[in-house]
Amino acid sequence: MKKIFIYVLVFFSIIQSGFADINKEKAVLMIENLTKEGIEDIINSNVSVEDKNKVFRKLFTENLDLDFIGKYVLGRYWRQANLSQQKEFIALYKEFNVKTWSKRFDEFKGKEFVFKGTTPSSNPNQVFVNTEVPVGDGKPASVKWRVSDKGGKLKVIDIIIENVSLAQTARNEYTAFISKSPKGIEGLLENLRQKVE
Amino acid sequence: MSNKILTLLLFFSISLSGCASSSQQVSDVSTLEKYNRAMFSFNNKVDKYVVRPVAKGYKAVTNKYIRTRVSNFFNNIDEPVSAANHILQGEFGGTGTNLSRFVINTTLGVAGLFDVATSLGVQKDKTSFDETMATWCIPDGPFVVLPVIGPGTPRSVVGFVADGYSSPAYWVAHEGNDDAMSAYYWAVGLKYVNLMAENITFLESLEEGSIDYYEAVKSAYLQNRGRLKKCVKKDDVTETPNFDFDMDEMDYN
Repeated sequence: MKKIFIYVLVFFSIIQSGFADINKEKAVLMIENLTKEGIEDIINSNVSVEDKNKVFRKLFTENLDLDFIGKYVLGRYWRQANLSQQKEFIALYKEFNVKTWSKRFDEFKGKEFVFKGTTPSSNPNQVFVNTEVPVGDGKPASVKWRVSDKGGKLKVIDIIIENVSLAQTARNEYTAFISKSPKGIEGLLENLRQKVE
Repeated sequence: MSNKILTLLLFFSISLSGCASSSQQVSDVSTLEKYNRAMFSFNNKVDKYVVRPVAKGYKAVTNKYIRTRVSNFFNNIDEPVSAANHILQGEFGGTGTNLSRFVINTTLGVAGLFDVATSLGVQKDKTSFDETMATWCIPDGPFVVLPVIGPGTPRSVVGFVADGYSSPAYWVAHEGNDDAMSAYYWAVGLKYVNLMAENITFLESLEEGSIDYYEAVKSAYLQNRGRLKKCVKKDDVTETPNFDFDMDEMDYN
């Protein structure tokens, strides 16, 4: 009887660990490191643009789950795309984002993120890390990082700036493009190929 | 995206007359979208060939210090407008904050050029008639793009016009002679150019990083409006933030 009880206990603890809630402290620490390395060490440094992009690419691909974000932004078209289109889209999407975001992060030059705790997500595997960035003379801008636990490894799956979700914005943009393009998904791929050239 | 960008988007808001029905909210119908896209394209050309060159020129002949003084000055003029809107929203604490800031910055801050109030711990608490209408449960209406002005909704336009007419600067100019009114319009132009100059790099990077710039601006604009205060109805329950939409990995495996 005692053995069965122990087996049951072990079984449930394994199940529990598989669906464990995200560790909020680790999520905050991850974003602290990301902002420190990304903003303070890269953007604020006097390294060349090439070196900056190189480090930024590494930081971006390591900390953001661009595979997942790419799938998310295609919405219902993800399943309509064939395997080769899916693969090419993810590769192009990553490239396009690294290129555009390294420029966009320049906006944060000389600024320091202030951490404002976390907000739970409806998904226990995810959490919002709340930060603020001073902008000029106005009220600080709110930047929320949606962090997901991918089997123990934390990854950013969305950034919400002043209530604007970048993942949602991209999804609206990409799905609208595909629905209007006579070539559908292929039209999107052609456009992205030109952009990353 | 900075607060200023969002202010910029709101600043551009002007619209069709009247309010649309709630069923039209957030999404625009195809005929409206055709118009919106055409107007967006026209505005982009105006922006590219007129507004941006002027803003770049202004940025070249001013420094950050001057642009901050200009922006402080206009922010200070807007404090009484926020104060009135806080009353309409029943938030009298906010009114007190706005009026305190106005008195402090107009006197100690040399006509609002310096934001002394923030240094003294009286933080900004800006609001608008658009937000006041939101607290009154007035629907936002569809997304519309207006000539030159840019993106907006019917409610944002009504708010924009109401705030403009309730500004003390407008009434001072209105009571004066023609020169005073011209000076007012030049000041409004300066406010716009100053705002553009501060955000030009961001706007260019946003366009460069888009595959459908119109859709990106529309989506960001409508999402950003979610930050406005909402009306509280009896049945309302505490909600998770509206950006906490479903992002479940299992959906895409």
